[in-house]
Amino acid sequence: MQPITVAIADDDGGRRARFERSLQSEQGIHVLADVATSEGGMAGNRRLSPRANISAIENVVARIRRLKPRVLLADMKQCTDEDCAMLVSLRRECPDTLVVLLADESPQQEERVMQALAKGARGYLNLEEDTPHISKAVHMVDRGEAWVPRQMLGKVMDQVLHWCHESSIEVNLDPTC
Amino acid sequence: MILLASPSADTLTTWKRGVGGLAQIFCTDTLDALKQSLEHSKPQILLLDHDLPGVGIPTGIADLIKLNPAIKIVVFSGPLADEAEWEIFKAGVRGCCHKSIDPKLLNSVVTAVLQGELWMRRTLTCRLLDELGKIALDQSNAKQATSDLLASLTPREHEIAALIGNGESNKQIALRLAITERTVKAHLTEIFRKLEVSDRLKLALIVTGSLNTLDQT
Repeated sequence: MQPITVAIADDDGGRRARFERSLQSEQGIHVLADVATSEGGMAGNRRLSPRANISAIENVVARIRRLKPRVLLADMKQCTDEDCAMLVSLRRECPDTLVVLLADESPQQEERVMQALAKGARGYLNLEEDTPHISKAVHMVDRGEAWVPRQMLGKVMDQVLHWCHESSIEVNLDPTC
Repeated sequence: MILLASPSADTLTTWKRGVGGLAQIFCTDTLDALKQSLEHSKPQILLLDHDLPGVGIPTGIADLIKLNPAIKIVVFSGPLADEAEWEIFKAGVRGCCHKSIDPKLLNSVVTAVLQGELWMRRTLTCRLLDELGKIALDQSNAKQATSDLLASLTPREHEIAALIGNGESNKQIALRLAITERTVKAHLTEIFRKLEVSDRLKLALIVTGSLNTLDQT
C-alpha cells in the first residue's frame, strides 16, 4: 500500500519539526520536503519563488503541484483573504491534494475558518489541542472524511441551512407602484 | 426535558436507560402524541425513531420542527444511503444514529447535541463541506452578477434606485429630483429592464443587498 504523502507549510520551524518527527514515526505516512512559509501565512511566501515575476500564491501552488502531497498541513492562523485565494487555487490546480488548516481556536477565527472550509479546506487542526491527533487526522482526511470538531460541524450545518432557507424564500410582492 | 418517540416499547425502555439521569424524560409512541408534546411540553431534545408512522415522509421531520423550532432532534434509523441521511440533516435534525447504537453512547449523543454539536457520521462530513462550498460559490456568483448589473445603471438611474431602496414613492422621488413622475417611471422601466426585475420591492431588496438578481429564479 502506498504511504500517504504529507507536506507541512508552517512558519514556526520548531513546530514544523515536531510535526515532521511525529508523522515520520507513523507507518503509512511519508513526509515530503519542507514547504515552509514566511510571515503573513502561506500566501506571503517569498522564499519559494522560482521566478520573481509570478505571484506568491502561484509560487506555492507550483511547489505543491510538483510535490503532489496527498495531504497539505497549512499554517493559516490568520486565514487571510490571500490564504483563501490560495485555497481556491490549490483546489483548482491540485485537486488531489487535501488541505488541512493549522489554526487557533478563537471566536474571531470561527468565521474565517468557515470561509476556509467553504473554499475547499478539508479540516483544521487546533494547534493547542489536536497536535497529538495529527496522524489520525491525516489518515481520516486521506479516507475522504473531514477533520472538523463536531461543534464546528454544527455551525457549518447552521450556515448551510441558513443559506438554503434564504435562497428558497420566494419574493412575491405587489408589483404596483 | 428529553422527549423519546418510538412505536416500540422495547426501544423506549432502552433509550430511557441510556439517557437516565440527564434530565426529565417523557415518552410517546404515536405521531399525534409526539406533536402535542412538542407544542405543549417544549422539550429541549427529541430522540426520534425514524420508523414512527408519519415521520419517514419527506415533510415529516420538517413539520415536527415547525411545531417547536428550538427543538434539537436526533433520528434513529436502520442503515441509510448517504443521500437519504443528508436529506434528514437538511430537514434540520442535529444528529443521526443507527438504531442498534450502544445505549451507553446515548448519554454522550444527547450531551453533545445539546451543546450545539452535530452528531453526523464522519463519512458524511465531506458532503457537508462540499455543500457549504457549493452554496458559498453560488452566493458569490449571485453577488457578482448583481454587482455587474448595478454597474450598468447610469448615475441618474443609480440615484433613483437608491431612493427606491429607501422606500420612497415615485411622487417623492420626482419632488426630490425636480423631475416629473412620468420621467421617474421612464427611468424605473429602464432600471427594471437592466436589472431583470419585475417590481419596485424586488428592486429595493437588491439595492439594499437583501436580494441577489439570481435569487429570483
